[in-house]
Amino acid sequence: MSLQSLILNLQRYWADQGCYLAPSYDVEVGAGTMTPDTFFRVLDKRSWKVAYVQPSRRPTDGRYGENPHRVQKHHQFQVIIKPSPADIQRLYIDCLTSLGIDLKDHDLRFDEDDWESPTIGAWGVGWQVMLDGLEISQFTYFQQAGGLEVFPVPVEITYGLERLEMFLEEKDNIYDLKWSEDVSYRDLRFEEERQFSEYNFNQASVRSLREAFGSAEREAVRLIERKLILPAYDMCLKCSHAFNLLDSRGAISVTERVKMIAQIRALVNRIALGFTGAEGAS
Amino acid sequence: MEFLLEITVEEMPSSHVRTALEDIGARLGRELAAAKIPVSSLRTYGTCRRLVVLADLAGSQEAREELVTGPPKSVAYGADGLPTAAALGFARSRGIDVGRLEVVKTDKGEYVGFRRIEQGKDAAEILGRIVPQAIGALSFPKMMRWGEGQFRFSRPIRNILCLLGGTTVPFAIDGLSSTNTTAGHKIRSPLTITVTSFAQYKDALQEHLVILDAGERKAAILSQIEYLLAPLQAQLYSDPELLDKLANDVECPLVLLGDFPEPYLELPLEILSTAMREGQKLFSVVKGKKQLPCFLGVADVPADPKGFIRKGNERVLRARLEDARFFWEQDLKTSLKKRAPALKHVLFQEKLGSYDDKTQRLKKIVSYLCDRLEGCQEAAGVMTAAEFCKTDLVTDMVREFPSLQGKVGGLYARAEGLPAEVSQAIYEHYQPVGLDDESPASLAGAVLSIADKLDSIIGVVGIGVQTTGSSDPFGLRRNAQGICKIILDRKLDFSFPRLMAKVLAVYGDKLKRPKAEILDYTREFFLNRLRYIYERRGYRYDLVNAALGAGIDNIVHSFSRVKALDGLKASPQFEPFILMAKRVNNILTGQPAGPLNADLFVEKAERNLFSTFSIVKDNVGPMIAKGDFAQAQKMVFRLQPGLDEFFNGVLVMAEDKKLRKNRLALLQAIRGILLQMADYSQVVVEGDASTAKK
Repeated sequence: MSLQSLILNLQRYWADQGCYLAPSYDVEVGAGTMTPDTFFRVLDKRSWKVAYVQPSRRPTDGRYGENPHRVQKHHQFQVIIKPSPADIQRLYIDCLTSLGIDLKDHDLRFDEDDWESPTIGAWGVGWQVMLDGLEISQFTYFQQAGGLEVFPVPVEITYGLERLEMFLEEKDNIYDLKWSEDVSYRDLRFEEERQFSEYNFNQASVRSLREAFGSAEREAVRLIERKLILPAYDMCLKCSHAFNLLDSRGAISVTERVKMIAQIRALVNRIALGFTGAEGAS
Repeated sequence: MEFLLEITVEEMPSSHVRTALEDIGARLGRELAAAKIPVSSLRTYGTCRRLVVLADLAGSQEAREELVTGPPKSVAYGADGLPTAAALGFARSRGIDVGRLEVVKTDKGEYVGFRRIEQGKDAAEILGRIVPQAIGALSFPKMMRWGEGQFRFSRPIRNILCLLGGTTVPFAIDGLSSTNTTAGHKIRSPLTITVTSFAQYKDALQEHLVILDAGERKAAILSQIEYLLAPLQAQLYSDPELLDKLANDVECPLVLLGDFPEPYLELPLEILSTAMREGQKLFSVVKGKKQLPCFLGVADVPADPKGFIRKGNERVLRARLEDARFFWEQDLKTSLKKRAPALKHVLFQEKLGSYDDKTQRLKKIVSYLCDRLEGCQEAAGVMTAAEFCKTDLVTDMVREFPSLQGKVGGLYARAEGLPAEVSQAIYEHYQPVGLDDESPASLAGAVLSIADKLDSIIGVVGIGVQTTGSSDPFGLRRNAQGICKIILDRKLDFSFPRLMAKVLAVYGDKLKRPKAEILDYTREFFLNRLRYIYERRGYRYDLVNAALGAGIDNIVHSFSRVKALDGLKASPQFEPFILMAKRVNNILTGQPAGPLNADLFVEKAERNLFSTFSIVKDNVGPMIAKGDFAQAQKMVFRLQPGLDEFFNGVLVMAEDKKLRKNRLALLQAIRGILLQMADYSQVVVEGDASTAKK
């Protein structure tokens, strides 16, 4: 049992359901939802099935490797199926069974938890999936992305890989997990968590981050005007990451926070309109 | 005939289940009545996965008598009284014997016509129309679409079982056809079950691990809790809201008792119980007021033979408590005083400034209130409490558990050794959260709570936010009710309009809306909240309106007025007095006010009335000032015989202008006294046409 075998099992299962297995995206994101394989693909009317592992960075969650549960980078396994099938909950339950979890011995609950991401103008309705009190997945029917209503409705299942693996290995400390039979999570990630926590909270240059935010924003505007929607979206992701780092540096006041989120959201909205061909029409 | 409807959904929020069941039951009841299908019983059941309606209905609509009208009587019958060709033609065209025609009166005059019996349609046919409509009409605070449909609901609908007398009622919603099947517990026993009757349905569900009745589920949870806690001689840390939620969230409740390591007990009960409730939905276990190192959880399973569920929950809870302890220890490293400047960067409301701005306002309002309330001057702690009450907003604990705002501040204040009255006032200043919550136990807490809430109300009203219907984004209603409850609970005797004016003045020129408009709106807002509170306490709406008609200059007095009216409503003097008061009111309608001159009275009756009035006026003044409206009310009853005599013996509308004006002035003076008691014209009494039947 290891994170690696968990990932392989999830890939196998969802590939069997017809999902295309995407590589992880190579720009920093806070969640699997933000990558183009989700963001753009939920906007149009075509059917779409995809599954992928996405390293997700949340700088403020860093704990210098000292907290057994919180890390500034974790891994999500993201599944998007559009339109949402009628038996999607059953597919999800069967997936857990296929991972070797005998649900007769456990308490599986779909607990009300609606999801929203103000930065990318997205929200959905759904649950956090709880297994014996542990949140192992987020299950969401998308309603809006980029500020636009989505149709057909995609369903998103996001597994928190470390959480789920802690459940499977019955471990209390994330660093005690095995990535593979020979490599532990501690070997791979402890030093990274320690150093990045120091960077996120104390060292990241506020000035260069502000410059980075500003230049990525200007670049996004320029690219949108040239109808280069996909690179423009990358620029928004860079804005978002710079914003998150500034936040963990404690450099953003409340009013500024609202303003910066609104700036990114406005860009993402134009990108969504550009992608669906609606920009200029309205 | 037995009617059974079950809408299978993916897990709905508990609050949605509750409102959906009320709503669909009421809608179907209304629609069936409108369709003339007699219903002898109708009730609902539900879990987060199914909404169920069970009813006993007639198999068809009531037969209906219909009137078919033909030509006017004048055309239908000749002078000889025999049917004309027009009448014969009409009867023939409708296939009836001409002898069945009768004369009917309509708005347009007399016509001939006949009555026929329209047989009712089958209930199944009607249900096939009204059930999908009723489902489609359900509305939720947040609604969603799914798949390729445009239908909106709380969560996706996956099956609709609809039977009348054991037979499927056919219809479809957004492509989903009704069936005669259901399924057992989703995780444990998801087999398809064919349903023929409610009795068989309920038994089959039970067998497949679903208890249909929420009452039974709740009772099962409570009895298991009792069983588990008895050996510990411990109690559940009561949380009715969580209990109701869990009773809807599970179909097959199993209560688990789990442990956590004792060292976490150094955290206060408030924090432990919140860490348990939020996230894992666990209950705290207490002995007296002390938390024990254990918890209760409710799982949706028949049993936990291997203990996996308990152990899993214990593991997750340990991690949460570890986090909470980390926050507690970190937070205590920085005193509240040192945190205060950080409030400059926490926004209260965009147009109303930061929480530091709010804190500065609170200090002024609290100081104003303290000058006016007995016993408050000594409570110096209240000023310190005002200064620090919002500082917990910049602690990690409140960031993690926002619902603990205020309480966390109070706990930290105590832990860092601030005086007890300071920490208590901070702790209590969000209370009461609802009308069923406790008011602050300390005067300092009460004053701070009123100041904080009224500052929010005036501010939000002042930037032009309207609170209408279900839209109350700033919780103004809850805040206003909290203020009223505190004032009433503690009998805080002060001028409410002056406090409003003070709070408004403290805002300076920050509020763009005209000042008079803000005060009017706020006053009206409080009037409505008080009306709601008094009616909720069981007082008659008309008495409440009458009492509030005398104003809310003093909120404690407004309640005394309600109680006085309520206490006297059964007395024999009450009704005649009300009628008399109304008579005074009516006669004064449209009359200008004038000066009263005792020398101008000519009749004995008016002199008598004037002298009674003078006595009553002198006596009632101090009673009103004291707020003793029960006595004051009895005192004004004394006007009754004088008024009787006056109306019987004196012509108010006298020819002589001077006399007339003076008599009206006397009545006006009397009305002036009455209006300090109540606006009696709002009281509904029998035999009075002006206010009957609202």
